[in-house]
Amino acid sequence: MKKGIFFSFILFVLAIFIGMPYTANAQLKPGEPIVIGVPTALGSIEGRDGWMAIQMAVDEINAKGGVQVGNTKHQLKAFSIDTREHEPGIPVQDALTATEKLILEKKPHTILLGNFRSEVLFATMDLISKYKLPYICCIAMTPLFQKKIVDDYDKYKYCFRNCLNSPYLAMYMAEVMGYIKKQFGFNKAYIIVQDTLWAQATGKGLDKWYKENGWEVGGYDAYALGAGDFSPSLMKVRAQKAQLIVTFFDMPQSGILLKQARTMQIPALLTGFISPVAPENAWDVFEKEVEGMVNMQFEIGPVPVKAVPKSVTFNQNFGKKWGEEARKKLSGHGPGPSYDSVYIFADAVERARSLDPDALVTALEKTDMTGVVGRIRFSKDHQVVYGVDPKETALGCGFQWKKPGTRVVVFPEVVAEGKIELPPSMK
Amino acid sequence: MIPSIIIYGLVNSVILALTAIGFSLTFGISGVANFAYGGFYIFSGFLVWMLLNYLKFPFVLAIVVTIGVVGLLGFVTYWVILLRVRGIPLSEVIATFALGVGILELFRWMGFVTYEFTLPYLKKGMIMIAGVPLDYQRLFIIGIGLALVLFLYFFTHYTRIGLAFRGIAQNERTAISLGIKSDWTAALSLAFGSAMASVAAIVILPLGIISINTGYEVLLIAVAVGIVGGLESVPGILVASLILGYAQIITGTYFKPEWMMVVYLAAIVFILAIKPSGLFGKFKELEERV
Repeated sequence: MKKGIFFSFILFVLAIFIGMPYTANAQLKPGEPIVIGVPTALGSIEGRDGWMAIQMAVDEINAKGGVQVGNTKHQLKAFSIDTREHEPGIPVQDALTATEKLILEKKPHTILLGNFRSEVLFATMDLISKYKLPYICCIAMTPLFQKKIVDDYDKYKYCFRNCLNSPYLAMYMAEVMGYIKKQFGFNKAYIIVQDTLWAQATGKGLDKWYKENGWEVGGYDAYALGAGDFSPSLMKVRAQKAQLIVTFFDMPQSGILLKQARTMQIPALLTGFISPVAPENAWDVFEKEVEGMVNMQFEIGPVPVKAVPKSVTFNQNFGKKWGEEARKKLSGHGPGPSYDSVYIFADAVERARSLDPDALVTALEKTDMTGVVGRIRFSKDHQVVYGVDPKETALGCGFQWKKPGTRVVVFPEVVAEGKIELPPSMK
Repeated sequence: MIPSIIIYGLVNSVILALTAIGFSLTFGISGVANFAYGGFYIFSGFLVWMLLNYLKFPFVLAIVVTIGVVGLLGFVTYWVILLRVRGIPLSEVIATFALGVGILELFRWMGFVTYEFTLPYLKKGMIMIAGVPLDYQRLFIIGIGLALVLFLYFFTHYTRIGLAFRGIAQNERTAISLGIKSDWTAALSLAFGSAMASVAAIVILPLGIISINTGYEVLLIAVAVGIVGGLESVPGILVASLILGYAQIITGTYFKPEWMMVVYLAAIVFILAIKPSGLFGKFKELEERV
């Protein structure tokens, strides 16, 4: 009987420890740093550059004395962990385990940059709600993120996102299509995407838009992560005489699509997003084969836009800190929002005068500042608002690769520095 | 559309054959399934890239050095790793697979993970065949694939080492009684197979990028083509490559591209169910008849 009571007591104590969620230390002692956790796919260019941008922002803030919490200033300290979630075949659970390891070992006060793959983001939101950590996502794009917050605000209110999402990308693409139709009279497109949540959401959104706006969609193909042969789709593009190939890919192998389209001399304008085509060094890496492609820059910064001075400064400072080679490799998605996320968090801490997660959520919701990406304000579903005027909203842009290897901004009109031209295969 | 399917189906088939033939050669002679094959393939790509970009080697010299180094790596692998587990198939598979994973993950750890790692074309430009544009690199792939098959035929029929290969492949004990050294032949077969992985990598990788995940995919291709055609049979490899190459292109064109990868797996399941030795394989022929 006594043994039974003893074991029951032990089980009760264990249950309390296991069930008790971790809470970050909201009360800092003088001299203690504010800890930032950065679990992301460090092997992806977006994750790599985002992490570098975060370190840059942390160093800048620390150089100015740190972040004011109440009456004392505290330095920032950032720790990263590689979730490898961009790699084909890595289970969601592995990425979650890496994130939880970081949370338990480093005890961060916030999670910044975060998930690369939308499928992982979706699962991570539950982890975030368990540990009650303010989280600003800077890469993963699924609109289901916002739906989850709206559907259960109390549980998921700690999650925010300041990068572009799929609906905004589809909105930008629709605007670009308008220009193209007006300028060249095109009306037939072919959509090729990778088989992931964000790319499918964007592709399907655009497919719907095409059909509602008098365009013909020649076909819609999805490729598994890691795919390396796109010739079946390209043959169909040629056979159907589609004038536009619209692509949405973030896997490293997606550069193959561009090379194949060029070698097969497909007479169509390539547009959309191919992650390896976005950086400044893509002209050399792909031996000039990028010429003519209209690629989206999800958020400005890596492509500096004169109308947003902070984007120009960010670009220059990144080169000074990490070297020109690193600057030329800056990816088309993630670096600007990652850099801004540190400032957004620091601003919220100073306004909340505390590191209490609930107070920080309230402060984050009231964010209104100008960053690398333009004006930053969260909507009710915790997504930063994107649009075409950087004075009012955050900004993404479209650029075209032109000789002698420059990315000319062609969209939106307010910041455009040139017009879309037909690629060599269509001249 | 039909000329495109014929031409690009052929290119795809030759790519599969080139990818699988080294794996098949090693297995056919030594009975060793070299599961480090994908690792050797990617190692070849990165080695050429490093020789070109870090040491500024001329392209041809980088190719020759890489094929030599990877062949030597296969040779050393036999003496250092496989000799100790020879004759225990499961241990051979585990040992070589571990080596392959080790090579691939080492490159990942070293940061060779982005789109920047590409190899140059052997020659730029293209020609039109039946109204279908085809670049010189793909033409080279077809040419080198055919040349490699011819080389293998003459090598195994008219050279002492090649005849020793066939002797060991036909009956190891009888070959030993005639003075052929089993371990040396097996080590050479591993060296040849690895060098062929290297040739395949050098001609195929310029079509895209050098990606670590391709290493795992290459192993899947080699195993799938080998199982369908018969692991030890070169004619089987060629026929299986044609079947799978065209099946993939047709699947991607007329059905859904995301099912292209399923073609390999479906073919493995189908062949194992109806003829486990593969279309031209002999290893389990007797058991199959019984």
